[in-house]
Amino acid sequence: MSKLVSDGLTKSFGDLKVLENVHLTIEDGEFVALVGPSGCGKTTFLRTVAGLESADEGAIYLNEHQITGPGRDRGFVFQQDSLLPWRTVMENTVVGLELAGKLNGAEAERVRALLDLVGLGGFENYYPRQLSGGMRQRVNLARALAIDPKVLLMDEPFSALDAQTREIMQAELQRVWEEGRKTVLFVTHQIDEAVFLADRVLVFARRPGRLLEDIRIDLPRPRNMATKRRPEFVALVDRIWKLIEKDVRESVLIEKI
Amino acid sequence: MRAIKSSRWISTLHPWQISLLSVVSGLFVWQMVSDHVIANPLFLASPFQVLKALLRLMETGELWRHVAISAVEFFAGYAIAAVLGICIGLLIATNDFAKNWLQPWISGFYATPTVALGPLFILWLGIGVWSKIVVVVLLVVFAVIINTEAGIRSTSERYLEMMRSFGATPRQLFFKVSLPSATPFILAGLKLGIGRGLIGVVVAELFGSRLGLGRLIGASADSFNMPELFAAVSILAASGIAMNSAFAHLEKRLVPWTKD
Repeated sequence: MSKLVSDGLTKSFGDLKVLENVHLTIEDGEFVALVGPSGCGKTTFLRTVAGLESADEGAIYLNEHQITGPGRDRGFVFQQDSLLPWRTVMENTVVGLELAGKLNGAEAERVRALLDLVGLGGFENYYPRQLSGGMRQRVNLARALAIDPKVLLMDEPFSALDAQTREIMQAELQRVWEEGRKTVLFVTHQIDEAVFLADRVLVFARRPGRLLEDIRIDLPRPRNMATKRRPEFVALVDRIWKLIEKDVRESVLIEKI
Repeated sequence: MRAIKSSRWISTLHPWQISLLSVVSGLFVWQMVSDHVIANPLFLASPFQVLKALLRLMETGELWRHVAISAVEFFAGYAIAAVLGICIGLLIATNDFAKNWLQPWISGFYATPTVALGPLFILWLGIGVWSKIVVVVLLVVFAVIINTEAGIRSTSERYLEMMRSFGATPRQLFFKVSLPSATPFILAGLKLGIGRGLIGVVVAELFGSRLGLGRLIGASADSFNMPELFAAVSILAASGIAMNSAFAHLEKRLVPWTKD
């Protein structure tokens, strides 16, 4: 149905080839995590799907339509929450509907229910500065879900949170996803986060940025804290780490110089 | 021991009580100095003398005639400058040609003490209110332009990108992101304009006028009437303080997200 296809996507920034010939197909309702070292192009891939970057060669298709720019069939969850400080939680969450001119009483009710779903019931009239980092990321998620997108694009949404909040948010995201089963593309640096959340982990390599391996995660759902201690889980994390270890070490060295 | 005790006593006061205490002690020192140190009314008037002069000016109705003229000059000039400043600021923030065309003039005029042009405007426009209004406009408008432009240009790229990802049009970006995010800057520019506008009114009137607080100050100085001079200055100070605090309230209402 809403199948996402990357057909030979290639992208350069100046002389730097950030993505080379990426071919992949993501099925409807799949939760796909993208991991890799810094500079592997995983975020650029996500931004291209969002229509915030354009492809040099190749193309991305959603339901056989080529993506040429941003659209309301995709909801983006940003690394930094980017909540508008002059809008309340509710006003921030409805912003996508408002831009589309689709905001009405019924939609507002739906958004209210959505805020309940992400655990923000009762906070509708708070301003972002009154919220904790975890709560702000819940608004960020609700804002993307509010436009009822076919695909949810998440760019390291939990990277700015502390370790405990991050664990909670991972479980919460899984719970919210189970409710709607949207297609999710989730970029992260944390391998365990990717394995915990995803049906598939796409491992990217750097220089040039390319798809290295496509790993299926068959751990049963719903997953919880105990899942992270299972030997299969640990083995998967270990396997992915070995794939990117050399690249990560190199990227760390380059960043130090 | 005593120092610790007194600091404890101070720390029990509200912030506004401390401010009030500061003003009262300032007035007290002023009274003492004018009674015992510079006890010459040609050089310094005491707070009580100023108050008496103020009451006399009110009684005769002379004060209101001056205040009314100065108020007309200030508010007319300020209103013109606010509208003009915001419009030009928005224009140069969104249009690079306009920016490059107008920038040298704006930088030049902002750095120039344009009050010095007061006599010229009196020559052109006469001794009435219009020459003063022009001076006020010139003093206020550039502060508003510069702040408005800075506000629009400092709009966070993250907010713009977020809105673009939701399919915002350039028009929506301007009205739903740039303008609200620039509002605190615009208000700061308008607040800065209050003090500059008051200076403009007084100095322009000093150059030549028939009525107005600047005229009252000039006439009092010429006749060494220090109590009346201070009375006029205190009216200006009070109106400056009142307008600034009115602005603080306006900021709380218009940009509540910038403060707790």
